[in-house]
Amino acid sequence: MFYHFIFILLFMLGLYTILVQDNLIKLVIGLTIMEAAIFLWVIATNYRGGIIPILQPGVIEADVVNPIPHALILTGIVIGASTTALLLTLVIEINKFATVITLDVLKGLRD
Amino acid sequence: MELNILLLILIPLVTAFLIPLVDIINVKIRRFVIISSVLAEVLVSLFIIISQYNLFLAGKLDLRYYLGGWSSMLGITLALDSLSLIFSILISFSLALIIIYSIGFIGHHEGKYYALIFLILAAMQGTVLTGDIFNLHIFIELITITSAALVAFKRNREGIEATLKYIIYGVIGGLFFLVAVFLIYFNLGSLNIGIIASNFAQINIKMKTTIIALFLTSILIKMGIFPFHFWLPKAHSVCPSSVSALLSGVLLKIYLYVFIRLFWDIFGFGLLKEVGLDYFMIYLALFSSIIGHILALQADDVKKMLAYSSIGHVGMIVGVLLLNTPTALYGGLLHTISHLLLKTTLFLTVGYLIQYTNGHHVADFHGVAYRNPGIFIAFTLGILGMIGIPPLPGFYSKWYIVQAFIESGFVLAGVLVIGGSIISLFYYLRFIYRGYSLLDYEKKIKPQRVGVVLSAFYRERIVTDVSYVMTSLVVFSGLFIWLFKQPLMVVVWALIGG
Repeated sequence: MFYHFIFILLFMLGLYTILVQDNLIKLVIGLTIMEAAIFLWVIATNYRGGIIPILQPGVIEADVVNPIPHALILTGIVIGASTTALLLTLVIEINKFATVITLDVLKGLRD
Repeated sequence: MELNILLLILIPLVTAFLIPLVDIINVKIRRFVIISSVLAEVLVSLFIIISQYNLFLAGKLDLRYYLGGWSSMLGITLALDSLSLIFSILISFSLALIIIYSIGFIGHHEGKYYALIFLILAAMQGTVLTGDIFNLHIFIELITITSAALVAFKRNREGIEATLKYIIYGVIGGLFFLVAVFLIYFNLGSLNIGIIASNFAQINIKMKTTIIALFLTSILIKMGIFPFHFWLPKAHSVCPSSVSALLSGVLLKIYLYVFIRLFWDIFGFGLLKEVGLDYFMIYLALFSSIIGHILALQADDVKKMLAYSSIGHVGMIVGVLLLNTPTALYGGLLHTISHLLLKTTLFLTVGYLIQYTNGHHVADFHGVAYRNPGIFIAFTLGILGMIGIPPLPGFYSKWYIVQAFIESGFVLAGVLVIGGSIISLFYYLRFIYRGYSLLDYEKKIKPQRVGVVLSAFYRERIVTDVSYVMTSLVVFSGLFIWLFKQPLMVVVWALIGG
C-alpha cells in the first residue's frame, strides 16, 4: 500500500510540475518524474525474492523472480529516454528563435 | 502463411533503417528502394486478402503469429482478425500512395523524411496487428515520437512550437495508457489481449472504472476530442502537406481502431454502459464535432480549416460508434473509410495548389482554378464529398450515421450531424468560390496555365498523378459503395457478437 501512495504522490507531483511551471526544461523534468513514478511503482510492487529466472529442469516457477515487469520497464525506459531526448532537442531549437525558453514563447507573447 | 503478418511490420521497419545506409552508398538508388519496399508491402497485403477472403467473409479469420515460438501466455503474439485486416489494408494502400506522392513533393532532407515515414508505417501496422496490450502501448508511443519528428520537419518556428505542444500532450496520454496497462497486468497477470478479454469480468468494479477512465483519457487526448482538441489543428497544419495527409487522414483512424479494439473487443461494450459513461461520451463527442466545425468556420488558413474539420468528423464517428447498434457501427466504419479517402485527397491536392498560391490564406486562392484546372477539380470533388453530395462516399456514410441516430431515438444528435454538414458547406465553398473568381486586373489578361512549379518535371507528374489516382478512388468508392457492405457487416457482427 505504501508503494501505491508513493506512486500517486510522485505522479501527481510530475503532473503538477507540468501544469504550473513556466520553464520548458522544467516541463520536461515533470514528464520525466511522471515516467519515473510509474517505473518505480511497477518494480517495487512486483518484486518478490527468488532465484534467477532461467527455466530449466529442476527449477520450480514459484521460486524464481518474475522477469516480465523488469522487461517491460526496460522497454519503457528506452521510450522515456527517446521522448526526453526529442523534447530537449525541440527546446534547443526554440532557443534559436527566441531568447527565453518559457511557455510565453509558445503563446507568442515574448520573443 | 502466418509469416505474412510479420512481413507487414518487418518490410517498412527494415526499409527505415536501410535508407541511411543506401544514402551512404549512392543517393540515386534510394528512390528504387522506397518504391520496391512500398510495392512489396502492398503485394503482401493483397496476398493476405486474396488467400484469406473466404475465411474473412465467413467471419472466422483469426491468424496468429507467435514471435520466437513462445505461447500466448508468455510471449508476444501478432494477431489478424477481421477488424485489423480492414485497417491494415487501409494503412498499407493509403501510405503507399502518400509515400509515392512524397517522392515528388519533398525536396529537402529526403533521407531523414523517408526513414521517419517508413518507421511510422511500421508502427501503424504494428498497432493494428499486435495481440499484446503492452506492445500496443509501445507502437502508439513509436507513432507519437516519429510523427512529432515529422511535424517539426520544416524546422521553422511555428513547426517547433506546434511539435512541443503535440509531443507533451502525446506523452501524457501515453503515460495514462501505460498506467492502465500495468493495472490490468497486476490484476490479471497477463498482457495478451485474448486472455485479458476473457478474464476481464473478474476484476472488481472500482478497478474497472479506474482502468476505463485512464484508457478513455488517453485515447481522447490522442484523438483530439473536445476538451483536448487544442493541439491538433496547429500540429496538423504546420507540417508538409504529405505529412498532414498522413496525420489527419490515416493516423486519427489508427486511434479510432485502438478505441474500438479496447472498448468493444477487450472490455466489452456492456461495461461502458455499466459505468454509465456511454450517453455522456456520445454528447461529448457530438459537442466536439460541432466545436470542430465552428472553429473551422473561423479559420482562414486552408490547412488549419481541414484540420479543424477532422476534429468535427472524428467526433461524429466516435459519437455514432457508441450507439452500438448494427447501423451505427456500419455507419461509423464506413465514415472512417470515406473520411480517410477524402481527407487524404484534400491534403494531397492542397499541397500541390499551395505551390500556386504562395500562401495558405483563403484570399490567396483567387483564380487558382484557372491556373490549374485539373487539380482544382480534384480538390472540389474532395470538398463535395466532405460536405456529403450524393454520388460521393461522404453522403452514404453520413446517411447511415443520421439513420442510426434517429433509430436509437437521438433525434437531436441527428440534427447536430446535419447541422455540422451545413456549417461545413459554408467554410468549404469559400475556397471554391475564390478559386473560380478573378481579380479585376486579372480579367483583362487571360490567365495562363502555369507549367512546372516543382523543381523537376518528373516530380510534378508524380504529384499530379497520385492526386488524380486518389480522386478517382474517391469517385469509384462513391459509385460502388455497395462493395463495402458485405466486408464491413462481417466486422460489425464480429464486434456486436463478441
